Amino acid sequence: MRLGMVIDLKRCIGCYGCQVACKTENGTRPGTTYARLLKIESGTFPNVRRTTLPLLCMHCAEPPCVDVCPTGASQKREDGIVFVDTEVCVGCRACMMACPYGARYYQDEKHAYFGETLTPYEEARYVDHLEGVVEKCDFCRHRLEDGLEPACVANCMARARIFGDLDDPESEVSRLVRDEAGFQLNPELGTDPSVFYLAAER
Amino acid sequence: MTSLNGNATQAEVQGSGRTESDDAWIPSTCSICYNQCGIRCHVVDGTLIKIEGNPDSPLGRGRLCARGLSGIQLLYDPNRVNYPLRRTNPEKGIGVDPGWERISWDEALETITDKLTEVRAKDPQKLHVTGTVTSLAPLGALTGIFAPAFGTANTFISDGHQCGNAEHILARTLHASVTTNPDARYCDYLLLFGCQVGMGTYYALTTMAQDIADARARGMKVVVVDPYMSAAAEKADEWVPIKPGSDGALACAILNLLINEQRDIDCGYLTHHTDAPYLVGADGHYVRDPENGKPLVWSTSAGEGRPFDLVDAEDAALEGSFEWDGQPCHPVFQLLSTKMARWTPEAAEEVTSVPAETIRRIAREFGEAARIGATITLGGEELPLRPAATLYFKGAHGHDNAWPTSMAIELINEIVGASNVPGGLLGTNPVAFGHPETQLPRWAPGVDGDGLQTTVLGETETERGTREWPRPPEGVELPNMRDLISWPITTCATPAMLNDDRFTFDNRPEVLINYGANLLMSVARPEASFEAFKDAFVISSNLYSDETAEALADIVLPDACYLERFDPVPNSLRHHHPVGLGKWGHQIRQPVVEPLFERRHFTEVMRDVGARLGILDVMQALVNVHYGLTPPHALEPREEYSWEEIGDRIYRAWFGEERGLDWFKEHGVVTWPKQVEEVYWKPFAEGRAPIYNEWLVDVGEDVQRIADEQSLPISTEGFVPLPDWWPCQAYEPQPGYDMQAIYYRVAWHTFSMTYEIPWLDEVSRGEPYSYFICINTATARDKGIEDNDLIRVEVPDGASTTGRARLTEGVHPEVIAIANNGGHWAKGMPIAEGKGVFFNQLQTMDLEHMDLVSLTIDCDARVRVSKVESEVGEPVAAAGGGS
Repeated sequence: MRLGMVIDLKRCIGCYGCQVACKTENGTRPGTTYARLLKIESGTFPNVRRTTLPLLCMHCAEPPCVDVCPTGASQKREDGIVFVDTEVCVGCRACMMACPYGARYYQDEKHAYFGETLTPYEEARYVDHLEGVVEKCDFCRHRLEDGLEPACVANCMARARIFGDLDDPESEVSRLVRDEAGFQLNPELGTDPSVFYLAAER
Repeated sequence: MTSLNGNATQAEVQGSGRTESDDAWIPSTCSICYNQCGIRCHVVDGTLIKIEGNPDSPLGRGRLCARGLSGIQLLYDPNRVNYPLRRTNPEKGIGVDPGWERISWDEALETITDKLTEVRAKDPQKLHVTGTVTSLAPLGALTGIFAPAFGTANTFISDGHQCGNAEHILARTLHASVTTNPDARYCDYLLLFGCQVGMGTYYALTTMAQDIADARARGMKVVVVDPYMSAAAEKADEWVPIKPGSDGALACAILNLLINEQRDIDCGYLTHHTDAPYLVGADGHYVRDPENGKPLVWSTSAGEGRPFDLVDAEDAALEGSFEWDGQPCHPVFQLLSTKMARWTPEAAEEVTSVPAETIRRIAREFGEAARIGATITLGGEELPLRPAATLYFKGAHGHDNAWPTSMAIELINEIVGASNVPGGLLGTNPVAFGHPETQLPRWAPGVDGDGLQTTVLGETETERGTREWPRPPEGVELPNMRDLISWPITTCATPAMLNDDRFTFDNRPEVLINYGANLLMSVARPEASFEAFKDAFVISSNLYSDETAEALADIVLPDACYLERFDPVPNSLRHHHPVGLGKWGHQIRQPVVEPLFERRHFTEVMRDVGARLGILDVMQALVNVHYGLTPPHALEPREEYSWEEIGDRIYRAWFGEERGLDWFKEHGVVTWPKQVEEVYWKPFAEGRAPIYNEWLVDVGEDVQRIADEQSLPISTEGFVPLPDWWPCQAYEPQPGYDMQAIYYRVAWHTFSMTYEIPWLDEVSRGEPYSYFICINTATARDKGIEDNDLIRVEVPDGASTTGRARLTEGVHPEVIAIANNGGHWAKGMPIAEGKGVFFNQLQTMDLEHMDLVSLTIDCDARVRVSKVESEVGEPVAAAGGGS
């Protein structure tokens, strides 16, 4: 099994629902955005294109972050999910240097959204997040255990995100990668991401 | 020690208001924008930890926008107003510290009651009420129950430059509804004018986003006309940049091509379902039968004018010049055809900057896509299939030429018959047969003596009744939208008239009650809104001590947000629902946590005030009217009820005895399938859509007569019955002011309120455009402006706004574009303060900058743009992380 995601750039409307769905699901601190968007503009008026590129951890089949981790905190599961065991992480940030996709976030201080006082929500959620460690997207492992899709997938208003098993040729993700010319970001780096994209114009 | 928002200590946030539920998912209804989608809220040990879309609700189908997801931060924002506050500084003003003092609810209510008693004794119309459409249910209770019980009709909506205005008029006349949406299931070609349906912000966003994405995936072509590369333009197959305020000229040219060159005309639709064959005389009125007054059509076989209902549609002439009773007359369609003839693509290119060849191609594509003559069988009924639609919003109609522009765009659908049939533009749910067991709530368009469709737009009897309450004896009766749509969408007109010395205004506001709106930031230039109400006693029930509260309010009441309150059937019965086939869904809004601190639900507060004023019995009688309650569910006006007990009666009355409040608390939403005859209602309807707005000819004549009698400088030249184009004020060049400023909307902000939500602020700071002033790269370089420079945008009367420049290819070279309502300055909204750019400062609020038919204020401005050389002392907007 190799869990992966397909993001259909034609369907994506760049609304940032994924970013906020991720924030609320994972209760991360300010500045940590496992799911985020990159807006790219190309061309010259009036022949101009804007494209939204949703980014998250690519859950690479050959994850350089795991290779460089000195403590074994960064791991890849058998189902392909790359995650950080924050109990083991010492916060050396070697993985952040190694990750070509900028998908990791060091938890350096107790940042909060409204200054020093935590809201009840933050009180309830920040206990899950340790200080001095690196955090990242884990495809919402806790939701998968409950039979749910990752939060960014389940919520997407344009249904631009599809989640499934890339090893299963019958799965929707495999079909889309095959039939709709799914592509990876920076394949030349050899990390073999498990997040595939479908072109905006096709 | 009382902090700015009256909070004793922040520590009280913790522990306060928590309930003992361990772990529950509570269904409810969002209220963070005007769409009100279905949500479910995860509460663990009394703390809200997650909001998701409610998969059981057709209003969103389990998916939410960034705003709806972020309601947790609105609930727990420590900057919320938590206690009643009283102004201690007698001086009011923008930027003046009100000196808030925390008072008890009892003192607040006593003060309010004393003020209201005093003003009611003088003249109840001296109470003005306003509010926000993001909380439609409590707003309806204010404008539809409290205000009429008190005896005032002076209500207006403070969403000024965001309001649909002209769109609502035409949605009513042509589509028997409040708004419209395209039939994404069958539409193949979607032409948008300054509108972002399903791709940015628009009605039923969370559902339409799914449907439009599906449609685009199956090949629906999207063409977006917009000066700025909006989210919709980003997704479009084709972006057509246009000069702001000129959309009407483009639409007229498309009409001309469809009618006079391509002959893409759905004659069957026009003759059966519109007034296109009605004869119009030289006086601009329908030619009528002298005996029964019915409009005449020209019977081709008889060679004479006959009452419309005595001529077969196939026999009715659409074109030609006729003479009747010695007077020349023409069918409506002929008048339209003649009037559009001057709009050649070349003429439109001059005005719009859109190449003539592009205009020809779009008209050709639209005409072909409409497939005139095609049919589809749905639910056993053979229906016309017209898979092309055009739709518009503020980008096109947010100008003082809103009325002719909106008509021109709407009629593109009408000419090809793509109106309320599969594939075309649909009114938002004009027909409802009701719940299968109770046949409630139900509604349908009627037909008047002229054969035209009528609409009871008020969702309830009360909203219809509102019109019969005493009307303010203003110096001149403007064609108020209250006359046309029976709800109070007067937007900017009230402040504009109050500030205008040319008008007498016998009931100037002595008390203003504001529910949840921030009119200083959301109507137009804040000084104008301040001036209009600075002498009134202002009561504001709101979430934050915002700009309006700080400048104007005497009393601020801590409002319970949508996650802390109960609203029975909180949705607009029509326009919150998605269009097209699918399900009906009627919801509950219920507290997912008990109100924190001393926050209270505004509806209940006004019931308390009503009791103290001695009008609660009238209010309860109006509840019966408002919700159509009859025995045994009707309230006894003098009995005591809790708001929940009243909600229970409404639910049982509408959906059956077994579906009372408890049922809705548990299930959240009741659903049932829509029927084909509800969704695609036009082929089954008797009433005709008026292509020719004869009613407006009458209104214009009346207004002009009154204005002339009183020597008021009002011109009704714009009260035209057919499409046209003339420049809006900002379109006209002025020496030294070489650009137009427009605002646009992003999908993660609503009006100005959401700027206080940190997750959304984080989005904007990471996004390259929305906290900046977008300016075309080449234009900027010509002016010596580089990316991230601080620039000033200035209108001819000297008002200006500043912000950081974002150089982009995605904006027309003569235009600068600003997102939403940024640039807060209130101390009570520290997350929002200084974020983004304040567009409204550029808007002049007076009747000269308004379309007097629809009361649309001009949402673009003639400006000059310059680099701010010294940043010392300049208010520097907090810009985002950049591209």
